[in-house]
Amino acid sequence: MEAFRYRMYFFLGLASFVFVSISLQLVNIQIIHGDEYEIKSRMNMENNIPIPASRGEIYDTNFTPDGEKNVIASNRQSFSITTIPASFGDKKLFNKTIKRLCHVLSISYEDVETNIASKNPWERIIIKEDVDFDKIVILAAHKNLFPNIEWEDRPVRVYNYDNAFCHAVGYVGSISKEEYTALRDRGYKYYQTIGKAGLEKQYDTNLRGTDGFIRRIVDVKNRIEGEEIGFRPVAGDNLILTIDSEIQKTAYEAMAGQNGAVVVINPSTGEVLSLLSKPDFNPNMVISSDNLKIIQQLMQDKDRPFLNKSIQSRYPPASTFKLVTAIAALEEDRWNPNWSIYCPGNYILKGYIDKEFFDYQTHYTLDLYGAIAKSCCVYFYQMGYKIGPSLILKYASYMGLDKLSGIDIPGEVAGVIPSKEWKLKAFGQPWYDGDTLNLSIGQGFMTATVIGMANFICGVVNNGIVYKPHLVREIRSNDNIQVIKKFNPEKLREIPLSPITVKTIKSGMRLCVTNGTAGRLSYLKIPIAAKTGTAQTRSRRREDSTQHAWVLSFAPCGEEITGKSVVIAVLVEYGIAGSATAVPVAEKIYSKMKSLGYF
Amino acid sequence: MFKKSEIYKIDYVLVSAMVALVFIGILMIYSAGYDPIEDVNLGLYKKQILWFIFGFIAMIAVTFINYNMLGHYSLQIYGVLLFVLLLTAIFGRPIRNTRAWINFGFFSLQPSEFVKLAMVFLLSKYLHIRERDIKNFRELFIPTLITIVPVFIILKQPDFGTAMIFIPLLFTLLFVGGSDVSHLLSILIIAVIALVVPMILTYREWIGSEGSNFLLDFFKDIDLLFAVSGIVFFIAVISYILHFFFISKYYRKIYIPSFVLSLGLFFSVMIQYFLKDYQKKRILVFLNPDLDPHGSGYNIIQSKIAVGSGGFWGKGFLNGSQSQLGFLPEKTSDFIFSVVAEEWGFIGATILIVLLGVIVFRGIQISLEAKDKFGALLAGGITSIFFFHILINIGMVVGIMPVTGLPLCFVSYGGSNLIMSMIAIGILINIRMRKFIY
Repeated sequence: MEAFRYRMYFFLGLASFVFVSISLQLVNIQIIHGDEYEIKSRMNMENNIPIPASRGEIYDTNFTPDGEKNVIASNRQSFSITTIPASFGDKKLFNKTIKRLCHVLSISYEDVETNIASKNPWERIIIKEDVDFDKIVILAAHKNLFPNIEWEDRPVRVYNYDNAFCHAVGYVGSISKEEYTALRDRGYKYYQTIGKAGLEKQYDTNLRGTDGFIRRIVDVKNRIEGEEIGFRPVAGDNLILTIDSEIQKTAYEAMAGQNGAVVVINPSTGEVLSLLSKPDFNPNMVISSDNLKIIQQLMQDKDRPFLNKSIQSRYPPASTFKLVTAIAALEEDRWNPNWSIYCPGNYILKGYIDKEFFDYQTHYTLDLYGAIAKSCCVYFYQMGYKIGPSLILKYASYMGLDKLSGIDIPGEVAGVIPSKEWKLKAFGQPWYDGDTLNLSIGQGFMTATVIGMANFICGVVNNGIVYKPHLVREIRSNDNIQVIKKFNPEKLREIPLSPITVKTIKSGMRLCVTNGTAGRLSYLKIPIAAKTGTAQTRSRRREDSTQHAWVLSFAPCGEEITGKSVVIAVLVEYGIAGSATAVPVAEKIYSKMKSLGYF
Repeated sequence: MFKKSEIYKIDYVLVSAMVALVFIGILMIYSAGYDPIEDVNLGLYKKQILWFIFGFIAMIAVTFINYNMLGHYSLQIYGVLLFVLLLTAIFGRPIRNTRAWINFGFFSLQPSEFVKLAMVFLLSKYLHIRERDIKNFRELFIPTLITIVPVFIILKQPDFGTAMIFIPLLFTLLFVGGSDVSHLLSILIIAVIALVVPMILTYREWIGSEGSNFLLDFFKDIDLLFAVSGIVFFIAVISYILHFFFISKYYRKIYIPSFVLSLGLFFSVMIQYFLKDYQKKRILVFLNPDLDPHGSGYNIIQSKIAVGSGGFWGKGFLNGSQSQLGFLPEKTSDFIFSVVAEEWGFIGATILIVLLGVIVFRGIQISLEAKDKFGALLAGGITSIFFFHILINIGMVVGIMPVTGLPLCFVSYGGSNLIMSMIAIGILINIRMRKFIY
């Protein structure tokens, strides 16, 4: 009996130990970690349905708060079908429901399945956006056949000008995994849309607004016990652009069938009146997930329609660069504009082996004005040879050709100004005199962006002052009543140019219109000044055309600069020549602007 | 049978603790059965009240029988119940794929609950009779047989949870009944070795853990494991034979551990070889439900959320979102403790544990004070039925024990368990009452 006692005491000890352990575990999960489990239990029963905020609208420059507005981007009401895969619990039921749903919506089950497989099953996913109302009626009538399938109002973006604004305004899309990980701390949710390019991306935080949500208390079968509005959505702010949709449309039509870029800028404010890149795409199509195949095709297109060629591509500036060479020579007092040179049509570079550099035609005797007007290469070969490459490069840098313009569209690249060191590093060769000659006429290693060249002309027009180019004039509240932010002209740089140099260059460019390569522009009865360029390039893609056509122009010339002055830069890829391909584009834009009352 | 004055010897502490537990249980079954969306109640609480009344009558009735009669007829009780159990397992109408219930039309009973009691009667009787020889290793055979037969039948039903409770019951009764501790420990160690090696191997394979462990890589090869177990067994046999010739304690110190080790390894080879991968995984998930968060782990996760979110004061009666909105599974039976902990918080859960503690400790006290060995063993066995139900059920609910479907005595919904528990309480009262009669 004594042994039994001791063993029973042991059992007593074991029982005490168990009761103490259970109590300690209760202290642990109920008191120490109670708050965490409280949150988890709330997450179980609260099924928050987001109410998407209406995205801010985008208007062109002719906006008045009360009058008529040219709406570039707006929203259309639509329904999205959503679900949370994990809420099904049963995989079979889930597959069956989704199959049935795909049948009703007439979409491919495989696509939906791959979409779902790539997402977190506990998160709300969109099965199909922009569903017709009659489909919703079907789903609502057979709610029992479609458990856990929900639909929500989801405004869909509409781009009223289709392709014309695709690069400037950009487009929106579902937030990607990478974007979500980067932006989740800033209030972005996995189911939201986000600006993917252009202004939609740049000003996304202003445009997106704040989503609201409906707080639903649900049970384990997702039956709704109660519902209340947790937070009302706040619509996004509107953008008022500096772009004139009429000019943009004209530029778009003028560039029809050609690849390249157009930048129209007001040099006295930096306001961009038009920004265009070709080839283009229809943003209305890109934002719809139904057009994955077309989007794939666009992505693989060798002309790269998604590239904004006005700010994201570098081109040799060609003869337009002769202006930089001239400015360098004049500013450093190494050249007199009245010096005349005979152009025989070629230039022999004396050396160990003589090397011949050709001009595209024989210009006979010219002074600097004539050389700019006729774009005489021989004149600038001699000028460049005289002043040397470092001066030219220095001035190219002064003009900001290797700097970002700071335009308010993401993805801008800067031009590349070569140097002796750069060439040694890139090619393993020293800088030859031939390189200097090529540089002085904008061929060779020098590359610049269209916006960079346009900015350079702005500097010339404005006596050295360059304003930061921008596309947004104002941000207004969604009801257009309150101005949230106003973008005033912001000085980008001040180039110390002497007025005489500026006057000389302007005269040369004016002569280029009245009696030169841009002669077509003289019929418009607008005092336009211009400089054309034809860049020799080797195309990897096209055998037939090997030249980029440039025209840089401004108007009005010779008068006092008014607020209405304008700089137009046109680049046509694989055009015939600046005068033949790019100038007509500029001509159409000037003509339209004249009819709009700009001049 | 006993004098009128003996009615005052009824253990009011035990009875009030029991009544309080059943009362809490009925309230919680009411709460768990309530559907806030449809605003209806399943009405199980009414049935439970009815079971309680039956149970109370059964309890009173049991106090009138001399408990020694239970010992006297224990083999007959055991035999009859085993037969009923077998019939149920073969002919019973399956409810949720388990043939565990005998249907009497308007109610059904689960014989396996009563087999627990019958087994305790018979084991107590056996251990009492064989008290002298119980230290002998051979004496472990009959008790094991008594236990293993119903375990096999119940596993065939299949009702894993109920079958599992018999094993610790057997061990506890053998232990308090006076078996050699080294024998019991040896069996435990064999079981642990047999499980640990295959489980660690399966776990590593499943999780795909990198890095190598010399010992585990060694055991990966089951032929090698088998060889090692053979060598150890050989050593054991040699030293066992030697100990007959040179009677020395020294050999005993070799052959017992080497028998244990070799058998452990042998069984682990058997498990590794004969169990399919999914079966081994099932055991792993049983030991660690977090491995399968959507399957059996789901219940534990939801249960822990329910218990934890109750906090100190609880969410209030009928206000537990986990149970009311259906996130908590089996909320009237296996997970009733979670409902208490969610709606009444730490306070309510502690009160419940204290009440259960009163029953267990009172049971131990009755066992220690019993006037004869059979009574002491019987009280000890009954107490361990309660104790292991509490340990396995609450341990599971709060996430410190594997998932096994076992009800919480007195609190969970279920007639058989309630009546069995109340009969058991009746026997405890009976034993305590009779210590005063000489």
